[in-house]
Amino acid sequence: MKRSFCFIILIGFLNSCDVLEGPYMDDTVNPIDTSGNEYVKNILIEDFTAHRCSNCPNAAREIEAIHDVYGSRIISLAIHAGFQFAYPYPLDTTVNPDQKFTYDFRTSWGDEMDTEFGLSASGLPNGMINRIDWTENGGDHRKAFSQWASITADELNKEVQFGININSTVVSGDEIDITVNTEALTSLSGNYKLVVCLSENNIINWQTDGSYEDSDYVHKHVLRSLLTSTWGEDLSGTSINSGDSSNHTYSLDLSDLENNNIQNSLSMNLGNGDSGGWDANNLYVIAYVYDVSNYEILQVEEKSLLAK
Amino acid sequence: MKTQALTILLIICSFKLAAQNSEIHGDFSLTLQSYVEDETINAAAADEVVLNNAFLNLIYSSNNFTVGLRYESYLNALLDYDSEFKGNGIPYRYATYSIDGLEITAGNFYEQFGSGLIFRSYEEKGLGIDNAMDGIRLKYRIGKGISLKSFIGKSRTFFTYADGILRGIDGEIDVNETFGLEKQTKYILGGSFISRYEQRSNPKFIIPQNVAAYAGRLNILNGGWNYYGEYAYKINDPINSLQESEMNYASGSAFTNSITYSQRGFGVTAEVHRADNMLLLSERDRTGKAYIMNYIPTLSKPHAYTLLAIYPCATQAMGELGVQLDLFYKFKKGTLLGGKYGTKINLNLSRINALEGGNSMLNDNIDHTPALLSFDEELYFSDINLEINKKVNKKVKYNAVFAHQKYNKDFLEGKTPGEYGTLSSTIGVIDLSYKIKKGHTIRIETQALFAKEIDSVSKKQEGDWIMALAEYTISPNWFFAIQDMYNYGNEDESKRLHYMNINFGFLKGATRFEIGYGKKREGIFCVGGICKVVPSSNGLNLSITSSF
Repeated sequence: MKRSFCFIILIGFLNSCDVLEGPYMDDTVNPIDTSGNEYVKNILIEDFTAHRCSNCPNAAREIEAIHDVYGSRIISLAIHAGFQFAYPYPLDTTVNPDQKFTYDFRTSWGDEMDTEFGLSASGLPNGMINRIDWTENGGDHRKAFSQWASITADELNKEVQFGININSTVVSGDEIDITVNTEALTSLSGNYKLVVCLSENNIINWQTDGSYEDSDYVHKHVLRSLLTSTWGEDLSGTSINSGDSSNHTYSLDLSDLENNNIQNSLSMNLGNGDSGGWDANNLYVIAYVYDVSNYEILQVEEKSLLAK
Repeated sequence: MKTQALTILLIICSFKLAAQNSEIHGDFSLTLQSYVEDETINAAAADEVVLNNAFLNLIYSSNNFTVGLRYESYLNALLDYDSEFKGNGIPYRYATYSIDGLEITAGNFYEQFGSGLIFRSYEEKGLGIDNAMDGIRLKYRIGKGISLKSFIGKSRTFFTYADGILRGIDGEIDVNETFGLEKQTKYILGGSFISRYEQRSNPKFIIPQNVAAYAGRLNILNGGWNYYGEYAYKINDPINSLQESEMNYASGSAFTNSITYSQRGFGVTAEVHRADNMLLLSERDRTGKAYIMNYIPTLSKPHAYTLLAIYPCATQAMGELGVQLDLFYKFKKGTLLGGKYGTKINLNLSRINALEGGNSMLNDNIDHTPALLSFDEELYFSDINLEINKKVNKKVKYNAVFAHQKYNKDFLEGKTPGEYGTLSSTIGVIDLSYKIKKGHTIRIETQALFAKEIDSVSKKQEGDWIMALAEYTISPNWFFAIQDMYNYGNEDESKRLHYMNINFGFLKGATRFEIGYGKKREGIFCVGGICKVVPSSNGLNLSITSSF
């Protein structure tokens, strides 16, 4: 009796494995059709990275792969931070004859976020998906890039709670007005804030990729500047009602913002001021709304700065 | 958490009243460390000024029944711990009873199958690892020489549990005992199986929800001979990425084989092991030591002396092949080399390299299986060392070690190839003890490490080190120690620094107090081939341990 009992357990165990055979990839995946909805839930992937972090391009490629599946619902920011791999090499050609890794991708805002969320401290690449799972006592908000796909899939199923609209108008030359409208789609209690930032796509510069130092690496969606403070501006006091909307206008001068980053680089540890050369055609405005109590990003929207 | 603790305490109290044949015992540990900023060694100050790790184990047993718990406190955790250890709690509690050869455990437990190739749940405070299981475990002694263990549970990660549900079963049979063989040769056979269930969806790739691994082992003992061999296999276990290059459907495997011969005054062990794609995690898409559920035993000698261990070998479960030879010999008393008290020598050689073309990889576009045995690949680590242990007279004894190590820093520390290359170092240690009078002993260690560059590299190397330590012990209660490590050969002149430490300790019965002050070097610390990065620090530390 006892022996047969053991055999039953054993057989139960032996069945619990799924040996697979190829092909492993399903080629028929299409982005989810959301064309009928006015607002859809979007996802912000904040990828904490560094130009001399050899494993970081894997995370960037994971974002591209996620984007390939879910399309424009996936918005990403590459935030270069951390004391180990992010600082630039000197511009002095006697020390750095090949002028490798001189570009300073860091920003003061990125550093502030990195400090608050402790991303680079626990190793790069590392990221957050809509900043979920943050808690006062540390929490589980830091996600390895191998977790991003499945968490993104879960997040996309959440109900959309805010709508965001971004518009930009070129006033003259480098002067641009940006308006961001937000609308609560459901009634919520708590304090919610809006953060607006600029990212630049397709910056070609040095990056360590595995064992290869790539001088022509394409850096995607790099955080450039914040138009609000790092932690944003209030949308609500203690509650917000469905239908409540707000309007925010930001008048910016691109050359001022660029210059600000250069000055900022010079003030940072090992900074060299090499953070200019912005291309307005590749700049994007990203706006997101988050819940102040737990940092969770409830909605995010992105628009090309010089959109027609 | 609080209610759990109260319940357990109530149970303990009620049993204390009910049973006479019972006992309570436990142990306590507290480590406090202050951190001050020290730019020269890149040490950071802690915002909290002082950090603290502490725990208390409490175990109550009565006849065949045991309950226990551990209270842990990290306010906040020391800097060399993962910051996810934060706060207080009772993450470990269990109840066990045995009856008629069956032992039942509910709650937390630690377990290992064989040498751990497919499953090891353990804690190692030094590494900040605790992957205790939480669930049910049954151990059953079926009959003569046959025992079975099985469990189901989830694995601890910090103050929570990983997603994967783990199920395992292990059987062992002592052939001689079971079949009543009274032969000179003894055979012990074992087999184990583990399966992890984790619900994961992926819109692009198929994902196995149940991932299994199994292993078989054989131990043959005959006189002074001892053979141990274990082979393990894991089925496809890809992570959950959307990038094809990250998706690896290859199976994993590992084996370890060792043969030992020993007799009085002489011993020799030869060992070979190989691991390929054999990392088993408690949650498939996580990274970090806290999620590792199996263990590939290390193949190099664990060194205790500082300079022998500053470049330690971390076992690569994803792929490595290694060999080791260990020889022990004692020159007898009264011989030329043995002298009056005899001389012990230990020669140890180990060499670990990469697998041919990297670990196994399989997806729709790649199909790579490395050669089984290929010793001509990228070197990870090698160590040749000779240790001589000798008592000169009643007052003086010494231990001397000479070693030559190669350490592939770029690979083992995840640097970009070409940054540091492979370090080649020759190390000498002399550890001399002198007994001044009864109960008073002074011990002096002198160590030196001479580094040689073998690759052309882009980063400045640490180069040569020397170290000295003096320790004065007044047994059984007191000890004082002072040590200094000096990186006099650093290629970066601003880093030619001293790392001075002073320690003093007091022991009484089962309680031990120790206070230390000094600088610690940023480095790698390993236990059994599992390693962690220790940040540099400067400050005061206090530790108290006690047991009852």
